[in-house]
Amino acid sequence: MKNALVIAAREFEEKRFVAYAAVAFAILPFIFAVIPGIGGKSPSDTIAMSSLIFATGFAGALAVMSGASFVGRDLSDGRMSFYFSRPVASASIWFGKLTAAILMIVGCFVVIIAPAWLAAGKSWTTFSTLSLREASVMVLLYTLALFLIAHVIGTFARSRSPLIVADFAAAVLCGVAIRFLVLPLAAGLAEMLIARLGIFLAIALAVAIVGGGAWQLARGRTDRRRNHLALSQFLWGTMAVALLVAGTYVGWVVSAKPSDLTTRIIASHRAGSPFLVLAGRARNRGDYNAAYLIDVGDGSARKIDPDMWGAGGVEFTRDGRSLIAPRKENHSEDLVIYKRGASEPTETGLTLPSTYPFFASDDGNRIATIVRGNLSIYDVPQKRSLVSVRVPSDGRLYYQGFFVSPDVFRLYLHAQDGLSIYELDTRVRGLQATGAITNEGFVSFALDPTVSHMIVRRHNVDGVTLNDARSGAIIKTLVGGKNVLNYRFLRDGRMAIVEGPPSKTTLHIFSPGGTLQRDIPFDGGERVGFVGDDGTRVVLSVASKESSPRTLVAINLDRGVIERSERSGLDWTMAGAWESRPPIEPLREVIYGDGAGHIVAWNPVTGARRMVTGG
Amino acid sequence: MTDNAIRISDLTVRYGRTTAVDHVALTVDRGGVYALVGRNGAGKSSLVRCLLGQQKPQHGETMLFGEDSWSRRAALMQRVGVVTEEADAPPEMSVASIARFCSRLYDKWDQASVEARLKTFGVPLASRFGSLSKGQKKQVSLALALAVSPELLVLDDPTLGLDVVARKSLFEEVIGDLADRGTTVFITTHDLAGVETFADRVGMMENGRLVLDEEVDALKSRFRRIRFAAQPVAIDTAALRPTVMRSWGGGAEAIVSNYDDLAFERMRSASNIGAAEVEAMSLEEIFIAIAGGKS
Repeated sequence: MKNALVIAAREFEEKRFVAYAAVAFAILPFIFAVIPGIGGKSPSDTIAMSSLIFATGFAGALAVMSGASFVGRDLSDGRMSFYFSRPVASASIWFGKLTAAILMIVGCFVVIIAPAWLAAGKSWTTFSTLSLREASVMVLLYTLALFLIAHVIGTFARSRSPLIVADFAAAVLCGVAIRFLVLPLAAGLAEMLIARLGIFLAIALAVAIVGGGAWQLARGRTDRRRNHLALSQFLWGTMAVALLVAGTYVGWVVSAKPSDLTTRIIASHRAGSPFLVLAGRARNRGDYNAAYLIDVGDGSARKIDPDMWGAGGVEFTRDGRSLIAPRKENHSEDLVIYKRGASEPTETGLTLPSTYPFFASDDGNRIATIVRGNLSIYDVPQKRSLVSVRVPSDGRLYYQGFFVSPDVFRLYLHAQDGLSIYELDTRVRGLQATGAITNEGFVSFALDPTVSHMIVRRHNVDGVTLNDARSGAIIKTLVGGKNVLNYRFLRDGRMAIVEGPPSKTTLHIFSPGGTLQRDIPFDGGERVGFVGDDGTRVVLSVASKESSPRTLVAINLDRGVIERSERSGLDWTMAGAWESRPPIEPLREVIYGDGAGHIVAWNPVTGARRMVTGG
Repeated sequence: MTDNAIRISDLTVRYGRTTAVDHVALTVDRGGVYALVGRNGAGKSSLVRCLLGQQKPQHGETMLFGEDSWSRRAALMQRVGVVTEEADAPPEMSVASIARFCSRLYDKWDQASVEARLKTFGVPLASRFGSLSKGQKKQVSLALALAVSPELLVLDDPTLGLDVVARKSLFEEVIGDLADRGTTVFITTHDLAGVETFADRVGMMENGRLVLDEEVDALKSRFRRIRFAAQPVAIDTAALRPTVMRSWGGGAEAIVSNYDDLAFERMRSASNIGAAEVEAMSLEEIFIAIAGGKS
C-alpha cells in the first residue's frame, strides 16, 4: 500500500504539467465570456457551456492518452524494469500507476469545471436537464471507461504480438454473446433487466481490466508480450465467467412458465377457441414479460413473443378455431395462423411493418391490413391481395375493422370529431363512405353478430343508443342515464347493458329491436366486464374497484337470477372483455388466473373447475 | 544459509521458436565476482532478467540467496542493486527526484553516498535524467544501486557508453572496492580487459548456451599462444589441444586450451619442432579465440 502511494506520487509528479494545462483550460471560458461575439448575451452561459466542453474534452483526451501509455509505453520502451528492479510488488506498481492516472483525470476535470460552476452555477440548468453533479459523474464514468479500454488497446497494440488477432476474435465473441443475452430480454420488453445486465457487464469489464492490469504485471513484468498474454487471459477469462453468469441468469429469466406470471397479466381467449394467449410479468424476473399460447384442452404452452401482444396484438377468428399472430422478423411481422390440432402455425405469406393493425374474417381466410394509409384485403388460401385502397387519415386516432361477409369489410375510423364509417367490397374494389357519428370526443361502440346494428356511447353524452352499424344513424335511445358501466350484444342479437353505482347495479336486457325485456339487479361494483354468454346465461366479471379482486358472476337471463359466482384472481383482463362483437360459439368455460399461478377453466353452468396449467 | 548468492539451474528462455537461453546452469558464491561475457544476442540480458525476477523462464529456476527470484522478487530486491543495460528511469524526472523516489522504497538508503558518488561522477542532482549522456545515466543508475549497500550487485553491461576514464573508475574503484568488501558482483560485459583484474570467475555464452564457466585463474592458466619458428608443425593433439591454428610464410601460431608446461616440453622434444615461444593470454584474447574458433 505504501509503495503504491509512493509510485502514485511519483507518477503524479511526473505529469504535473498536465495539471498546469488544465488550469489554463479552466481560465479560457472566462476569457471567452468577455470576448465580443463569443460571449453572447449571457456570459454565464458561455462560461458554463465552454467549461463543460473543455472539461469533457480534456478529461476524455487525457483518459485516452493516459490509458494507452501509463503501462503500455513503459513496457514498449523497456522502462518497466525501473520499477521491477526495486523492492516493490507488481500489484503496488499497477495500483500506484492506476491511482495516479485516475486522480489526474478526475482532478483535471474538477480543476476545469469547478471555477465555472462557482461563477455560473445557475446556468447549468439552461442547457442540460442533468444537474452539474449528475453530468459530472456521467462524464467521469464514461471517461474512466475510456481510460480502461485505452489501456487494454494500448497494451495489446504496443506488444506487437499476433495474439491481437485472438483478442479481436474474443471481443467479437463477447459482442455476439451479449447480443444473444440481450435479444431474449428485449423480446420480453425487459428494459430494466437489460440496463442491469449492462451495468453488470460494465462492472465485470472494469473488474476484468483493473484485475487484469494487476495480473499482467504480476505475470508479465517487464516483458510486453507476456503482459499482453496475461492481460488477455485475465480479461477474456473474467468476461467469459461474467457472460456465463449473465447467461445462466438470462436463461433462468426466459425459462418462465405460465404459472410464473404474477403481475400485469393479460389474457385473451374467445369462446370455442382451443387457444388462450397469456402474457404478463414473471415472478422475481424484474420487468421481463412473457407470453404463451396455451392449449386450453391439455394445458400445453408454447412461448410466443410478448411484443406481439403490443399494438398489432393477436387476433382470434370469430369462430374461435384459429388465432392469427404476428411473428417478429427484424422490423416487420410475418402473420401466421395457429389452428386447432396443428402443432406448427401456418404461414399466411403476409408481412406487415411492426405495430400496423390487421383484422381477420370470421373463419380467418381473409385478412384486412392498414399500412401507411392503404387498406388491403388479403386472401389467405390464395396468398394474394384482392384489393388495396387509400383510406382517409385526417385527424385519425385509430381504426376498428370487421368483415361483414367474406367480401365486405367495414372500417370504423375514430377521429377527434367522432366516427367515420366506410365499406370496402372486394368485388366493387372501391372504398365507400357509408356513414358517420359526429361527436366532440371519442365514440365507443359494440356490434351485433351481423354487424348491422351497434350500441353507441359518446364521450360527454349521457346514455347509450342503438344505431345502424352501416350509416351510424340513431335508431333509438336505450338507456339515458349517466351510469352506464358496460354494454354488449349477446350472440342471439339481444343487448345487455349494465348500469351501476351510485344506484344498485342492474343488468338491462333488450330485444334485438331495442325493447327492454327485463332488468336484473345484482351486487356489482365500479368495474363490470362482459365475459360472454351461452344463450341462457351471461357471465360478467365484477369488481368493486379497479384494484379489487374480481368475481365471475353467471346470471340466468330467463330466470333473472345469479346462478353461480366464482372468485378469480387480480390483474386479469378477462377474456372477451375487449371484444366489440360477440363470438359465434357459446361460452362453455371461463378461463381465469387465480393469482396463485394457476390458470383455471370454470364451467358457469356446473361450477366445476379444471386446472389448465399450474395444477 | 546457502553459500551461493546466485544459483541458476537448467535455465531456458524462448521467444517463439528462438531459444535465447538454453539450459544454462551456474552458481556464484557469496562475495564472488562473476563476469558473464558473450557476443550481442548471446542471451546474457535474458538471463539477467530471469535472475532479477523480471522474466519467467520457460524452464529451470533462478535463486538469489537461496530464494526463488521470480516468486520472491520484491523482497529480494531489498538486497540487490541493479544497473540495467538500458537506462530505464523516467526521462522527465530530475536525478534528485529519482533518488528521493527510490529512497522511499528501500528499508535502508544512504542518500549521502548517492550525492557523493554523483558529485564524483560530475552529474548534477538537478539535471533531468533524459538530458544526461548515456554514460551519465549509467553512473546515476550505479549510484542508486549502491545506495542500498547491496549484498549483490547486478550490472548488465555497465560500461556501455562510458568513456575510458569512467570505465576505469567503475571497474577499479567501485567494483573493486565492493569486491573487497565482500559484495557479490554479477556483471555482463564486453569489456574483458576491465573485469580481468577483479573477476573470480567468468562465463561465456554463445547462442544461448553457457560454453564456458570457469575460475579466471584456471582459464588463463590453460590457454596459451604458441608461436613456432618453422612449419609445417605437427602438434600432438592428444597432449595439447589447439583451439586456433594459423600459419604464415615462415612459421605458425597455435592457441591451445589445455596448456601444460610438462606436456609442452614433452611434445617439443618428441616432435622436434624447433624454436617455439609460449605466451600467456588475456581474457579478451581467450574470448576471441573461443568465439572465433567456434564461428
